[in-house]
Amino acid sequence: MLEIKNLHAYYGGIHALKGVGISVSEGEIVTIIGANGAGKSTLLNAVSGIVRYREGSIFFKGKPLPRLPHLIVKRGIVQVPEGRLIFANLTVKDNLMLGAYLRSDKEGIKRDLEKVYELFPRLKEREKQMAGTLSGGEQQMLAIGRGLMSNPELILLDEPSLGLAPIMVETIFRVIKDIKNLGKTILLVEQNAYKALSTADSAYMLEQGRVVKSGRAADLINDPGVKESYLGVKVNNRS
Amino acid sequence: MNQILQQLINGFSIGSVYALMAVGYSLVYSIMNFSNFAHGGVIMLGAYFGFFFITLFKMPFWVAFIGAGICSMLVAVLVERMAYKPLRARNAPFLYFMISAMGASMFIENFVIATIGPTFRTYPQIFPAEPFSLGGIYVGRLDMMMFLISAVSLIALVYFIECTKLGKAIQATAFNPRASALMGINTDSVILTVFGLGGFLAGIAGVLFGMKYTVYPQIGFITIKSFIAAVFGGLGSLPGAVIGSFILGIVETMVSGYIMSQYRDLISFSLLILILVFKPMGLMGKSVEDKA
Repeated sequence: MLEIKNLHAYYGGIHALKGVGISVSEGEIVTIIGANGAGKSTLLNAVSGIVRYREGSIFFKGKPLPRLPHLIVKRGIVQVPEGRLIFANLTVKDNLMLGAYLRSDKEGIKRDLEKVYELFPRLKEREKQMAGTLSGGEQQMLAIGRGLMSNPELILLDEPSLGLAPIMVETIFRVIKDIKNLGKTILLVEQNAYKALSTADSAYMLEQGRVVKSGRAADLINDPGVKESYLGVKVNNRS
Repeated sequence: MNQILQQLINGFSIGSVYALMAVGYSLVYSIMNFSNFAHGGVIMLGAYFGFFFITLFKMPFWVAFIGAGICSMLVAVLVERMAYKPLRARNAPFLYFMISAMGASMFIENFVIATIGPTFRTYPQIFPAEPFSLGGIYVGRLDMMMFLISAVSLIALVYFIECTKLGKAIQATAFNPRASALMGINTDSVILTVFGLGGFLAGIAGVLFGMKYTVYPQIGFITIKSFIAAVFGGLGSLPGAVIGSFILGIVETMVSGYIMSQYRDLISFSLLILILVFKPMGLMGKSVEDKA
């Protein structure tokens, strides 16, 4: 569904992506794990058109992806950004409706709004509240709901569990699976490698702008290198 | 007592025109975070457009009025495309935008001096000069029209910003351009819309101002008043800009009426400094906190 080949991108003067290749199949959850500064967010932002890439190609459903953010959303890819970036000065409902900005099918928008409220009943309760008054977890729900309102085929989730209480982290990962069951494809960037790997179907490990490992998520979770670097487990039988 | 009411009404009338100027200025600030000094140039051109439409082309007042608004809108859009868009494309620092804005402002002013000339011009009498009486208070017809036109325009603007999809997109882009782009909002066309709206309002404000006083190339200096009003209310906040404008208008007429008109600008600018020192966020500056 999404084919990224040999992507080079610069962040300021830093060569943040050095020939990254990633492939996402329809209906899967694919996760990208890696340390701070590995290039995970830059990769998502390159797909979303926020960061320009100098070399390489991105194909979506067999066609090259446009480079302007709004055209990319129109093609069916939406990003739920790191730090949520909700519109704190607008109501919860306004935030959700802005997610559907490019759509004009009133019936479909209504249906998707109900779906989002089903997924996050809390948002329905707070529909008329200013989004800035929500708790961190609720803001993350709103950010995900807002993304879903564009009725995307592929959702890019950037660190959805960052800064949330453990119980909220559980909720968010449960919702990610629910979203997959709605028929959406998900590209998930996470620092919580254990959670990400146990939720995803396949995974890529980024280090300093390069893919250093990839495979089925279930295999990576048992990989000694991954265990040591990201899961905090000291592997003794390696030596 | 009557005299105070009289001054208050004058203050509202002049304040409402300041508001027309300040909202356009404030809208641009809310999205681009820089002071659009070229706004004054657009106000001045609006005054000239209206003047020539009426005197040279003999247009009826309302046609000239709307026509001046539309022409000013086109000028504002042109300034955005030529002076700011190339900077945005390169992610230039905000200081560059300010400098570019000053350049555009000086260009417009000197262009007018070079082509039309530096002389003062007076609008022909459009509304009858004799004031009408409202329970013992005399209200000039022009002042009344200024207030009504401004009020209708401001209400229309608030409706547009609060109740339409594009208006919501403007608010979202003002809050966070990147998040807006990620939601599929074409931020470039939002910026163009904001310049167009601000330009139209600046143009009609220019006509009203030209009718009240005179038309000359430096009339754009008046934009500094919209800056004071916008700072007063809280930069980037529309209700703030409107309230700030009315306060400024009333303070100015009170100072002119009760102290001395020469002190008017002195006191306006002292207020600006006091606000910047003691309440830099203004009356209604962005107070919503983002917990993220």
